[in-house]
Amino acid sequence: MTLLPWLVTAWLLAVGLYGIVTSRNYVHLIGCVSVVQSATYVLLLAAGFRWGAGPPIFYDHPPGTPAVDPVVQALVLTDIVIGAVVTAMLLALALQIHKRTGTLDPERLRPLHR
Amino acid sequence: MSPRLRLFLFAAACLCLVPAVISVARHMPMFGDHPMPYGDAINALAPVQRHVSNMISAVNFDYRGFDTLGEEFMLLCAVTGTVVLLRGTRGEQLSARPGIVPGQPILLRSPAAVLICRIFAPAIVLFGIYVVLHAMTTPGGGFQGGVIIASGFVLLFVGEGYEVWRRMVRSPVLAACEGLGATTYALCGFASMLAGHPFLQNFLPFGTLRDVFSGGLMQIQNAGIAFAVAGGFGTVLLEFLEETRAIKPDDAGPGDGT
Repeated sequence: MTLLPWLVTAWLLAVGLYGIVTSRNYVHLIGCVSVVQSATYVLLLAAGFRWGAGPPIFYDHPPGTPAVDPVVQALVLTDIVIGAVVTAMLLALALQIHKRTGTLDPERLRPLHR
Repeated sequence: MSPRLRLFLFAAACLCLVPAVISVARHMPMFGDHPMPYGDAINALAPVQRHVSNMISAVNFDYRGFDTLGEEFMLLCAVTGTVVLLRGTRGEQLSARPGIVPGQPILLRSPAAVLICRIFAPAIVLFGIYVVLHAMTTPGGGFQGGVIIASGFVLLFVGEGYEVWRRMVRSPVLAACEGLGATTYALCGFASMLAGHPFLQNFLPFGTLRDVFSGGLMQIQNAGIAFAVAGGFGTVLLEFLEETRAIKPDDAGPGDGT
């Protein structure tokens, strides 16, 4: 049970990398990059978890009650937002590749010549 | 390299790494039951030092504020990259003109869908503003609220259709939100330097705990982040939607950047 979060992290990383290695479509590949990234979310949130503790927001329970680690949650929060726009940028790249070469298959893609 | 060989190499590498991963997992700290000195220090100190009840906002905007400035500019760079990549082949001056995709008829939306979107789009934008404003007290903040506001823009598009959407959501306004939001955050840092403190030192009065306007300088940083995130996500959405229409032949004037 205590091993589970770390193994889930490793599994997410592995399936994401498997998808990247075998990908035949850039949109699929970008999805796999997001899966690899979500492994870091699981790792960070699991590292900050604590049994029997509440959220690190002391609005309806007073400061001093046990709470989970807010530092990793702040890291994950900004990570998700940045990850979303970076995914958008990668998708824009894929769109331009499709416009120029007519394919999204990494295997069929050759260096661009102008 | 053939796909088969690559897959074989990947499987071999994974097999080599499995014992290492298991060994690391076994030696990780006990899940949910290990000391967290930084988190505990912030949980203990932030309500007293900064008078805010949302520790995550306190970490993001105050204790790790300089780091968030870097993330803010990463967001700006990613959005700029997206816009440059998408506009590069399309030309800039065309992006302000709404158009239709030839060969794709505009389907009539059902009145129920339009009504639901008209009710929920403003409600979602309002909810986003609520989440932004309550950054220092309850779960939320500029990052989350900005994304919620931008998702309200999508609902506007779903309900009103492309042309009306383009008249309501202006590209320069979104760009100004993005840029000014990021600038506000940076200027907060310089403002505290002008007041004779270190960069991003929280020098404004902190207010009272559990009050919406507690947190001092964090409020301004939070508003900057909210504008930047809403503007950035809105810009990305707009550029991708703009991409769905083909350029009309008479659109392609000189200097369209191709």
